[in-house]
Amino acid sequence: MKNYIAFVFDASWNTLKGLWVTLKVLFLPSITVQYPTEKIVPYARFRGMLAYDAEACIACGMCVRACPSKCIALAKAAAAPVPAPVEGQPAVPPAKPKIEWYTIDYGRCNFCGLCEESCPTKPKKALWHSLDYEAIFSTRAEMVRRWKRGDDLWGTARKTADGQLAPITDQIHIQSVPVRK
Amino acid sequence: MTEETIQPKVLEPVFNHANGRLLMPETRYWPTDMWKSPWSLPTYRRGAAVLAGLILGIAGVAWFIGEIGPRLAPIYTLAEQFALSYGVPAFWIAVVWTFIKGVFVLLAPALNALFAVWWERKISAHIQSRMGPMYVGWWHGALQTLADGIKLFLKEDIVPDCADKVVHWLAPVVVLIPAILVFAPVPFGKDLIYANIDIGTVYVFAVGGVSVMGIIMAGWSSGNKFSLLGGLRSAAQLVSYELPRTFAVLPVIMLAGTLNIADIAGFQAGYWGGIVPRWFIFYPVVGQVAFIVFLIASVAETNRVPFDIPEAESELVAGFNTEYSGMKFALFFLSEFAYVLLSCLLMSSFFFGGGAAPLPFLDFLPSWAWFLSKTLILMFCFLWFRWTFPRFRVDRLMDFNWKFLLPVSLLNIAAGGVLIWLLS
Repeated sequence: MKNYIAFVFDASWNTLKGLWVTLKVLFLPSITVQYPTEKIVPYARFRGMLAYDAEACIACGMCVRACPSKCIALAKAAAAPVPAPVEGQPAVPPAKPKIEWYTIDYGRCNFCGLCEESCPTKPKKALWHSLDYEAIFSTRAEMVRRWKRGDDLWGTARKTADGQLAPITDQIHIQSVPVRK
Repeated sequence: MTEETIQPKVLEPVFNHANGRLLMPETRYWPTDMWKSPWSLPTYRRGAAVLAGLILGIAGVAWFIGEIGPRLAPIYTLAEQFALSYGVPAFWIAVVWTFIKGVFVLLAPALNALFAVWWERKISAHIQSRMGPMYVGWWHGALQTLADGIKLFLKEDIVPDCADKVVHWLAPVVVLIPAILVFAPVPFGKDLIYANIDIGTVYVFAVGGVSVMGIIMAGWSSGNKFSLLGGLRSAAQLVSYELPRTFAVLPVIMLAGTLNIADIAGFQAGYWGGIVPRWFIFYPVVGQVAFIVFLIASVAETNRVPFDIPEAESELVAGFNTEYSGMKFALFFLSEFAYVLLSCLLMSSFFFGGGAAPLPFLDFLPSWAWFLSKTLILMFCFLWFRWTFPRFRVDRLMDFNWKFLLPVSLLNIAAGGVLIWLLS
């Protein structure tokens, strides 16, 4: 009899404990993120879509060699002719070789970040992982992003509709892309 | 290379109209940070303010409307005089008036299902840290149930090949009709009652029991062994839990000396010492035990978790309603929520004084508002249990009823007799 009453008391107490747990959680804010209208900003070292700055790039090809999946390709621009030295003025240093075109194939990229690590430009890297995780590809041709001088950070890709290169406009930026040092 | 060329695009913060959150550059939504100090979240404070505003607003509207029940008699007299002046026989006036009242009684389970399904989804979501329906309707998915209902209307009505067609068609009807009829003697407030009959309590338990027939019919006629199992389990469960449920009410009936539900609610009016309401739940020991037994048995009667073995999703593939689709499926749901509402209304009449205010100075709100709020709080308990407890095993379910609830309720009747003897 004593055991029975102890059992009933114990069961009731545990029942109340369970109810208390759910009641507490009920009044806590929910962790759901209403994705299309509300977006989580990833942590600072998140490796999202690659951003590329054609102005900063010196076309050294370090990223091409560093890439383990061989998804980067680039072509150097022809060196600009050095202007003839003018009397009484310091000599103009020869311009650094700049990029003709630069492509990244996202079909192969595994977002390891070695290209960003190997990029030697100072003070700012020419290639870095942004915090952007929203990218859509509907064909393999679209997965290849191409940059030329004058393009923005997201480059261009061949659109499925007409097969022409067009700027990436449908990629919604999570946040401003922080400039990496 | 200038600073301008590398300056990235800075986007406008996205304002989320659904919950008022603003995405700022430094926003982090990690749960641990959020849960440490929920009051530091502006949205949490806003939500609390909205909830408080809703409750106060509804209370204000209720105060503005005032009592509805006593106003119906003058309206009836006016309509009667108007109709009599045109030579309508008095018998037909009474018939039409009964029909008008019947429409309102019919509305109760229908509106209740619309609201309760949405509320259940919201509460289940928030217990699991989700949000539940958020898009349909203007506010937090308020019209989600309506959209689901329209979808169910448009669904194809599938009848399995091996089903008994007639019984399969008849079963939802047999389940639903008692679920509506049972609201006849139940009060919704002072004088807000369809049929003020003296045997109201017996009527409710008797008519409510008819629905078991429909569930067995649904299980048997589906031609599906899981449905049949569900129907039979339901029969076993409902028949056995009917006993402690009825016995739990007996002390209330003994004390009140009547079977009329409205009179039982009226018996509990007044306050002990001007503060503690004379509700039956505050009668020492007997009241609390009776309430707990009645609550547990009601949860079992309405086939809800943790007593939902007739429709155990994981073992019986939803049990007796597996083979139902479209509106027939919705009718089963409608009757389930109608019985939940009925249990809550009965509990607030039997144990919480019906339309009486919990404190003397709060009686400026009309009785129907108190009735409704007590019913909703009890209905919240049903949903709360559902998302807290795991399901009983079949044999333990029977053990719990026959070895615990039934003896306790029988002892409670004896204790109620002792209490009456002490009080007299």
